[in-house]
Amino acid sequence: MAAKLFKGSEYLITEVSKNDVFTPEDFSDEQKQIGETTEQFVINEVVPHKEEIEHLNYELSAELMRKCGELGLLMIDAPEEYGGLELDKATSMLAAEKFSMAGSFSVTYMAHTGIGTLPLIYYGTKEQKGKYLGKLMTGEWVAAYCLTEPGSGSDALGASATATLSEDGKYYLLNGTKQFITNGGFANIYTIFAKVDKQHFTAFLVERTTEGLSVGVEEKKMGVKGSSTTQIILDNAKVPVENLLGEIGKGHKIAFNVLNVGRFKLGATATGAAKQAMTEAVKYANERKAFGVPIATFGAIQEKIADMNAAIFASESVVYRLAGMVDDRLATIPKDTPNYYEAYQEGIEEYSIEMAIAKVFCSEMLADVVDEVLQVYGGYGFTQEYPAEGFYRDERINRIWEGTNEINRLLIPGTILRRAMKGEIPLQKEAMKAFESLMSPSFEELDDSIPFAVEKALLANLKKAFLIIAGSGTQKFMDRIKDEQEILLAAADMAINIFAIESAVLRAEKMLPTCSEPRKKAAESAVKAFAFTANEKVATAARKAAYYIEEGDTLAMLLAGIRRFTKYDATGLLQAKRNLAAAAIEAEKYIF
Amino acid sequence: MKILVCIKQVPDMESRFKVNAAGDWYDQSDLAFRMNEYDEYAVEQAVQLKEQLGGEPEITVVSIGPERVGEPLRKALAMGCDRGVHIHDADSSRKDPWQIASLLAAFAREGSYDVIFTGMQSQDRGSAQVGMILAELLGLPSVTTIVGFSYEDGQVTVRRELEGGARSVVRVPLPALFTCQLGLNQPRYPTLPNIMKAKKKEILLVKEGDFALTEGRALTSRLFRPEKKGRGLVLEGDVAEQSQRLVEILKIKTAVFR
Ligand SMILES: Cc1cc2nc3c(=O)[nH]c(=O)nc-3n(C[C@H](O)[C@H](O)[C@H](O)COP(=O)(O)OP(=O)(O)OC[C@H]3O[C@@H](n4cnc5c(N)ncnc54)[C@H](O)[C@@H]3O)c2cc1C
Repeated sequence: MAAKLFKGSEYLITEVSKNDVFTPEDFSDEQKQIGETTEQFVINEVVPHKEEIEHLNYELSAELMRKCGELGLLMIDAPEEYGGLELDKATSMLAAEKFSMAGSFSVTYMAHTGIGTLPLIYYGTKEQKGKYLGKLMTGEWVAAYCLTEPGSGSDALGASATATLSEDGKYYLLNGTKQFITNGGFANIYTIFAKVDKQHFTAFLVERTTEGLSVGVEEKKMGVKGSSTTQIILDNAKVPVENLLGEIGKGHKIAFNVLNVGRFKLGATATGAAKQAMTEAVKYANERKAFGVPIATFGAIQEKIADMNAAIFASESVVYRLAGMVDDRLATIPKDTPNYYEAYQEGIEEYSIEMAIAKVFCSEMLADVVDEVLQVYGGYGFTQEYPAEGFYRDERINRIWEGTNEINRLLIPGTILRRAMKGEIPLQKEAMKAFESLMSPSFEELDDSIPFAVEKALLANLKKAFLIIAGSGTQKFMDRIKDEQEILLAAADMAINIFAIESAVLRAEKMLPTCSEPRKKAAESAVKAFAFTANEKVATAARKAAYYIEEGDTLAMLLAGIRRFTKYDATGLLQAKRNLAAAAIEAEKYIF
Repeated sequence: MKILVCIKQVPDMESRFKVNAAGDWYDQSDLAFRMNEYDEYAVEQAVQLKEQLGGEPEITVVSIGPERVGEPLRKALAMGCDRGVHIHDADSSRKDPWQIASLLAAFAREGSYDVIFTGMQSQDRGSAQVGMILAELLGLPSVTTIVGFSYEDGQVTVRRELEGGARSVVRVPLPALFTCQLGLNQPRYPTLPNIMKAKKKEILLVKEGDFALTEGRALTSRLFRPEKKGRGLVLEGDVAEQSQRLVEILKIKTAVFR
């Protein structure tokens, strides 16, 4: 339990302490054990079939899903009332992270347990859960989620699929086409979104054998080739009225709340995938010789290894910090609350900003990692003999689904501003303060006795920089700021990297008192290496935004402020990277 | 029936080991630990026996070690053991096999167990002695390195692995002790529901000081890496030249032609 329950986006206007964050070092024995079972299952039961899975084998995927069911891997989020485990998000994220090693099959698993099953868990009636949840938890049935259409992806609510009540009032007749449906080819049940009377966005639970439902051909994809992606075609598909999920016209709630969790989980799987890719690259760097020595002895390769390790450390810190935030909030809701899942959804939604941050940050971290991993392999990275090209192809989709990274970025400042307007967070007041401090000279003295004093001072300043940019933008454009996407994207980059730096720093600080000297040194090095890179990103984004927003004297003032607030003394950066690289090269893996 | 399983926590064998500062054991900091592989076979066999007997036997799992041995104990409970006993000893790696077996015997004597399973050896020390000494101290028959186990009417029939791949079949009446070898069974994954249920099972914490301590009989005085062997040599030329060169080397460096 954290010392304090934070509101979503509150980190941008307050100081957060190490006691407020959950970290991977805080896992309980049970959580570790569940992580181990998941890992062992993937290594022993899935990885040996990787080749076969990549050629898309429905039978094999269905069988592996049943094996997941036997181990309880499909009941993590399901309520106890229906035989589920209802575990916390930290556990759920850890299992997701470990599952990422399963490559394409992890896509099947994630879609089933996430977007496939969660709508039923969150919004299903007793009868619906009683009928379907058991089958989904054992893996007897596989689930899919159908939101996207050929003509509407990001604009999900622009769907044109329709649902019309039959004359006898017993069925809804669904018409339309759903696009890019994961598990489409072999799922047994689909959560399908369609508009009742062409206007009320609504979700339906639709069985595979439903008359009028047919499955399209498999897409020929760039990556995650072992996962099924098809169209679902609805031609007067006859769906019993009792299979309407939630309420008529409330489908958007289902769609978006489920996506929130999906985004968050994507952060965990990206983190796991990055660890795996990095580990392969470090092993290779130790084996491969050039100019008579292992390439791991070259500074160029070491820097890549250090940067990857530092970025993954931050990514992991983001995911589990967020898990802790969500778990703490959800734990305040008594289980016997009448509308438990309504309160639960509010708890999740509270952190929609942080969930979008996790999605964007972790997927882009993975993108950088797989790119560098491939580079470490040189020409061999470009061939299918080695795993690097597979990592590279499989990564790409993560920046597209669960809301593209553009959509997620826009959502970050968009939601922050909306909350500020509603008075949920005192953004204006804090922005005023930030402007004031911009005008007054700084006399702050660093207190060297505090661990990471430099980084903490930096974080306080970066938050001011964010407030100044957000404040300037809203002052200039008022309501119209929501149409100034370039500025919003820049603000999002600031918010994302501030959250990531803070997560890494607080985790490292929390680690220090109990860890060994070498580990302490590694953690300090990771923080320095990451803070340097991420701070540069904040600075660039801030400057860009300043140019987009202002001109003349005001611009000059903004730029001066940004210069001051993004100053980071990274003395010892080279040594830090070398330390980190040396530790990873010795361990031949991601070291935290 | 009462069953006892003795397990040990060992480092993950994929770790990079360093010799400790004292130079007499490996440095334990920053290592990942797990259940000794052979002990997983022991736990699995105990659980299979319990299942065969309709769940009647009670399985106690015991481990000696510091705080962190709670983890493998929890795993054993999640695999199906009923209760755990943690004999707390912050410095258990300093004890020799005799001392470890003596501690286990002091604990096991009170329990009058019908069947005791241990691993064949530990993956780190590899003495392969603890099981046998424990049986001796308890006055029980023991069968080592078992690769097959069956129980019928109070009698156990096991298959043992002998040198050179030969097998033997041994029958023993209970009570008895068995040390388990690779190939005995396929340890199960603890399922998620069982992991959560294990949380509610008891782990009794006792201190090593609660038992009469014995003096060590063997001391590991030094731990070191073997010196690097010389580099390999690739012989070149045609077959006749190569064989001539080989004979010369063998004459100089070995005793085969003397
Ligand atoms: C392999 C795979 C599996 C999938 N699985 C599922 C599934 O199981 N269920 C499901 O429902 N969907 C699924 N999808 C669909 C996926 O979620 C969508 O592809 C995604 O949401 C993007 O929609 P789109 O492809 O229509 O792109 P578009 O919406 O057409 O976007 C094209 C580009 O325009 C940008 N853009 C769009 N709107 C805006 C805006 N308002 N402001 C700024 N930029 C914008 C986007 O960021 C993007 O760069 C899957 C897709 C793939 C490829």
